[in-house]
Amino acid sequence: MNIRPLLFVPALVLLPAALSAQSAPPSPTANQAIDTSSSAWEGIVNIDVSVLMPDYREPWNAGQPSGGSGTGFLIGKNRFLTNAHVVSNATRILIRTTNDPEPHAAKIVHIAHDCDLALVEAEDASHFEKLKPLDFGSIPQLNTEVIAIGYPIGGDRISVTRGVISRIDFRPYSHTSVDSHLAIQVDAAINPGNSGGPVMQSGKVVGVAFQGFSGRVAQNVGYMIPVPVIKRFLKDIEDGRYDHYVDLAASDFPIENPAQAKALGINGDGVGVLVGDVEPQGSVAEILKIGDVILSIDDNPVMNNGLVRFEGELMDMNEIVERKFAGDTIKVKYLHEGKKQEATVTLKRFDPYVRLGAQYNQRPRYIVNAGLVFQPLDRNLVDAHQIRDDTVSYVFDNFLTDKLYVERPEPVVLTNVLPDEVNTWITPYAHSIVDEINGVKIRSLKDVQTALAKKEKPFIEISLLEKNRPLVLKRELAEAAHKRIMQNYNIQEDSYLGDE
Amino acid sequence: MKLSQFFPLFLLAVSAGALSAQTPSPDAPKKKRAAAPAENGAAPQQVVQSNSLVKVNATSQPYSLHLPWQKESPSGRRGLGVVLAGSRVLVTGQMVANATYIELELPENGQKVPAKVVAVDYEANLALLESPASDKQKAFFSGLKPMAVDSGSRIEDKVDILQAGRVGELIKSPLVISKVLTRRYNVEGSGFLVYEANNIVRSEANSFTLPVVKGGKLVGLLLSYDSKNQVTTILPAPIIEHFLKDVADGSYEGFPSLGMEMQSTMDEQFREFLGLKPDAPGVLVSAVMKGGSADKAGMKKGDILVAINGFSIDSRGDYKDPQFGPLSSSHLVRGRAYVGDKVEIKVIREGKEVVLKSELARRKPEDFLVLPYLFDKGPRYVLMGGLLFQELSRPYLDAFGDEQRGGAILRLAHIATHPDKYEEEGRRKLVFLSLVLPTPSAQGYDKLGGQVINKVNGQTIKDLNDLADAFKNNKGTVHVIELNDFPHILYLDGFNAERDNMRLLGGAYRIGSLKRLE
Repeated sequence: MNIRPLLFVPALVLLPAALSAQSAPPSPTANQAIDTSSSAWEGIVNIDVSVLMPDYREPWNAGQPSGGSGTGFLIGKNRFLTNAHVVSNATRILIRTTNDPEPHAAKIVHIAHDCDLALVEAEDASHFEKLKPLDFGSIPQLNTEVIAIGYPIGGDRISVTRGVISRIDFRPYSHTSVDSHLAIQVDAAINPGNSGGPVMQSGKVVGVAFQGFSGRVAQNVGYMIPVPVIKRFLKDIEDGRYDHYVDLAASDFPIENPAQAKALGINGDGVGVLVGDVEPQGSVAEILKIGDVILSIDDNPVMNNGLVRFEGELMDMNEIVERKFAGDTIKVKYLHEGKKQEATVTLKRFDPYVRLGAQYNQRPRYIVNAGLVFQPLDRNLVDAHQIRDDTVSYVFDNFLTDKLYVERPEPVVLTNVLPDEVNTWITPYAHSIVDEINGVKIRSLKDVQTALAKKEKPFIEISLLEKNRPLVLKRELAEAAHKRIMQNYNIQEDSYLGDE
Repeated sequence: MKLSQFFPLFLLAVSAGALSAQTPSPDAPKKKRAAAPAENGAAPQQVVQSNSLVKVNATSQPYSLHLPWQKESPSGRRGLGVVLAGSRVLVTGQMVANATYIELELPENGQKVPAKVVAVDYEANLALLESPASDKQKAFFSGLKPMAVDSGSRIEDKVDILQAGRVGELIKSPLVISKVLTRRYNVEGSGFLVYEANNIVRSEANSFTLPVVKGGKLVGLLLSYDSKNQVTTILPAPIIEHFLKDVADGSYEGFPSLGMEMQSTMDEQFREFLGLKPDAPGVLVSAVMKGGSADKAGMKKGDILVAINGFSIDSRGDYKDPQFGPLSSSHLVRGRAYVGDKVEIKVIREGKEVVLKSELARRKPEDFLVLPYLFDKGPRYVLMGGLLFQELSRPYLDAFGDEQRGGAILRLAHIATHPDKYEEEGRRKLVFLSLVLPTPSAQGYDKLGGQVINKVNGQTIKDLNDLADAFKNNKGTVHVIELNDFPHILYLDGFNAERDNMRLLGGAYRIGSLKRLE
């Protein structure tokens, strides 16, 4: 089940001043004074960002300008690590150190939305040459002390808060709302603006502060991205490109029931988890079948509840896959119809689920034709248009569970009908999923363009999914109206299909 | 820095496991809270009473939809019934839905007799009550006079909504009928005739049935009152007459329907596309329900429907009613005809006029894959080792609030609106796993709920009876349950499931029976 708790986040990032900050600063329990002028801390910088929020309702418009601020830190020569959400949709990025008020323009080198990390570099590296990069530690122990450093609300200069490691767990990352990775909970105060800042122990970075709960729901719960996730990101981009996480794209179901265990041929050693679903386009599509039992991954026994003992901790079996990269292989041992099998799985990214999460740094794609606005169905669109149509909700909600992506990898929604004489009778059909146009099955936005280019017939015929009549426009009228509508509604370009 | 809300997580935690449903509340007509009249010593008014109206008090107790072996808490409903010939009393269907006890009360002296339902149609929202013959019953009705039904109302007629006050005095709210249209009443299904009227209706205690009269004759029953816009809808006399006539012949058939969907053809470009001349009548037939009257007559998707029983259908789908003016053509079948009547439908197919003939039929609620409504009976279920299986129904889906409609419920709701694929598979009902009670044999399954059942022990499941048989006829020691959804397959130990069944009976969950298949 997807958890999407952080819908309000962008607003909070944008409006740090509007938040009633915890006015009392954390009581200084520090047992060591911090010298902010020492070069060790100067690598921790404030990142000031101007943002353009894309407009998925009027996709031809530039969007809404706004801004925000977060933290970043130097990890190598002119390489600053921060959160993806700090620099997402940025039009301008400025870096400031705590002792130097001068802003320095910067740009994104790599951005990984699925693990909420980004690498930023200053346009002019010379200014930061003398700064010392921070070193990474490892996964800290529970109940050990850490400090979070950054530029949260409540003041302009650098801030330090202190706490302990509270929990180590697989958690949803709210930036995309669909990705889950290892995350470490700390009780040090982590506030808006801390994002992207280091959490340190014994002088080493043990995590990047990135999300928390609002004080209304939970107290002293902040999360940081731990070192294994950071290192994986840094390794992924070594080849100059971020390739995203890879997935098994199979769902496991625990084997707790004695009858189930017996029927599946599991003995009582606690090993084996049931394959409850397999994505036909995922890494294991040709290997695992529903009803199979996964026994081990890379020789790590998988327990009945889907956990493995990995690096000394009990973790979700997906954690093994998490550390791998596109094209890597894993060895899976499994039971098929009671017989032991072994297979080597080449891991790849599973694309269909990306559309279920928030996406950034993208110009909205669309096609306008005779006032009919077509856009690809994804979370950004659903959130912007507040669509309540049953069919659209069903398709979005069950895109994976009912494998709808197989037939329609990129469902296209008729999001709007800009009223004009030519389309006045079909305006009520906005918020429908397009099934076919001029006899062409619509599997992606590009198909709409191809289909509209077919001009043999005197009518443009659009069939909608689960709507019982086609929308029909007389071609000559539609073509005559198109220009007029573009002008009336102030649309410069009648389509944007992405940079290709 | 991002802040998150804990609320969504919390909601998930609650709704993830069991599909916990909310109890539906009957949609009572909306009432306006009228200010109490000022008692400032006005001259005593003459008390006007009617000898054709009786108070009706009913106690309603629906079955629980998510724990189907038990009932919800009972609640009272009050209305004002209309006395008809033969000492019968007319009320709305809603008034007596899920009734456990009904009584009639004389407004002026409070004398009471018990009553029972003679006939009820929940689609037409009408019920006829009778009190068992006795001396008391005779005495009760001796002073009452049947009210006649007047089907001749027209737009702009002045009518009165009647309510009974504390001592039986009649309280009249005058209304003017402003519109006549067709609309769905309070259960799923096609529309019925409705009068719409405007004015303020003051609120009294009797809300579930209120008669609307003109010149001492019944012109309808109150359906709903929107206090914000002061719009009243009235269940009109023509539908009441239809109901009474159907009841009178001894066997109740209900209101027929064509079983088709149409699309208006007012859009000029669409007309041209369909090959319709600019002024030609007719609407596009966009769907024909299998087994319905239209299907039996040979109507096809894509036909242009131009006339029913000699009435021409315009591009909006309306015909010209001699009494009410333009009205949805559905009334030609629903309101003006009876089950078994001949119907003559004129369509244009491939440019040629074709006359289709058939006998009108009604699709019963049991004929639907997903039961459109359910009153007076408990939901069917089978309980096996803690796994609760039910047949999908509209009321079950409606019991979930909008914010709970994600995931499994959204998937089931989608099936309910688009049942074709499942009907074609031969399913009579959609059997699904609705809840898992914590038992040893269902260990590990307690977070499941909302999965459609395909097979049990190799046998295809077309309704709950199949499921019960499949469990009973299992030759092995383990039940194998195949689901349409994740995790697709469940195993249940036959012996342990039976043992858990015995423990469930009369146990903490107060289960009196492991199944209801009637």
